[in-house]
Amino acid sequence: MEIAQVTVIGGLLALDGTSVGQFMLSRPLVAGAIIGWLLGAPGLGLTVGAMLELYLLVSFPTGGSRFPEGATATVVAVASAAGSVTPGALPIGVAVGLVWGQLGGISISGLRHVNARLVPEPTREPRGPGHVTAAHLGALLLDFLRGAVVTLSGVLVGRAVVENFGGAWSLTSGASLGLLLVGGAVSAGILLRDLGGFRRRRILLVAGMALGILGARFL
Amino acid sequence: MSRPLSRAALVSSFLRSFLIQGSWNYHTMLGCGFAFALLPGLRRLYGAEAEDMASSLSRHVELFNAHPYLSGVALGAVLRLERDGADPEMVRRFKLAVRGPLGSLGDALVWATWLPTVSVLALSLFWLGAPTWLAVGAFLVIYNVGHVALRLWGFRVGLAEGRDVGRRLAEAHFSAWTNRLRAAGALLLGVLVGVILAADGGLAAAGILWVSLSVVAFLAGLWVGHRAWRPAAATVVAAVVVLTAAGLVL
Repeated sequence: MEIAQVTVIGGLLALDGTSVGQFMLSRPLVAGAIIGWLLGAPGLGLTVGAMLELYLLVSFPTGGSRFPEGATATVVAVASAAGSVTPGALPIGVAVGLVWGQLGGISISGLRHVNARLVPEPTREPRGPGHVTAAHLGALLLDFLRGAVVTLSGVLVGRAVVENFGGAWSLTSGASLGLLLVGGAVSAGILLRDLGGFRRRRILLVAGMALGILGARFL
Repeated sequence: MSRPLSRAALVSSFLRSFLIQGSWNYHTMLGCGFAFALLPGLRRLYGAEAEDMASSLSRHVELFNAHPYLSGVALGAVLRLERDGADPEMVRRFKLAVRGPLGSLGDALVWATWLPTVSVLALSLFWLGAPTWLAVGAFLVIYNVGHVALRLWGFRVGLAEGRDVGRRLAEAHFSAWTNRLRAAGALLLGVLVGVILAADGGLAAAGILWVSLSVVAFLAGLWVGHRAWRPAAATVVAAVVVLTAAGLVL
């Protein structure tokens, strides 16, 4: 029952990624909170979501490009780690989520090739408004099914990996967090470059860091 | 031939614009979604004139692309042009002319600036220990106020200006807004870095090794840019695999 719920949520959140609304319910921070709450592990959901949000800060759902799919990555990561008390549950869950995010991106590209056969051919007149509506809604349904299948396969594989290898994890929880943040730091660097680069933004960056350190110490 | 566009048809077209990317494909890109969003307006304009409707639809399922939040500019303008009985070739040229600017303006403002800036704000709240509802709620509310406002503005501008939307797009000073937001984003990114370093259970608590590696990773991202993302993610996955294997063996 639980895995069916996770699969449906994965499919619905995947729809928000590009096809429906883009209200950013599919961003890792939000998806992590939702799936964590559903699985009775809100703290884990938010932690995994925050970690993947950091990784995917510079991943945008731009039109034709292939991008890692944050929603399925997060649902897979949280559902893989939830319920396991092994020390490796969090890092292994995040690692599986990162891999499945890439697979989700590849599946989106595949669906877009399928959609090209589904939509009305511009050189021939559509058979009417119903033809356009059916093609469009059919593509939406396929995207939901794609997201659900990617989620289901990821959760099944992720849970098996965490169950079999989570106990062998050799780092402390602090060091595990450090390892994951090293990956996230790359995204932060890329984002600074996108926002104007160090030379142009150094004063704002340093002022922000001072504020952040003060906030962390005194709030 | 044409009748005035009803409020219901306009509202329906606007709401359908939220689904405009539903059939995104490598052949016509947003073409089918654009026609799908136009349908309520076209039904109102052409009613039972099946031939005119089919002719209009065949024009609008053609290749089209734009940032989804700004696609309303083109939708509104095309509805206005169709209502005014504009020459089909002119409507086609209009769509061709706006698709580049609507894509690049939206990508720079929304994907490369607004989204990461609001994300960084929400992540800072998370690392400061704010409750879940505050971090997630702040992200969703702030982001979507900007998102929905931009969609509404674009649709209204398109309807009001028709083929002259270029002037309003220029007057909106997208570049200036993007630059201001980037400055705010850089400040917030600094806040996030500071909070992650100094928070209880943050990076500093993990030890000097992880702080040093994070600095190196940050500089790699800063210098190499987007080319660094996939190797970095692959390195973290590989590190997890190797450390797990080491735990099994030792």
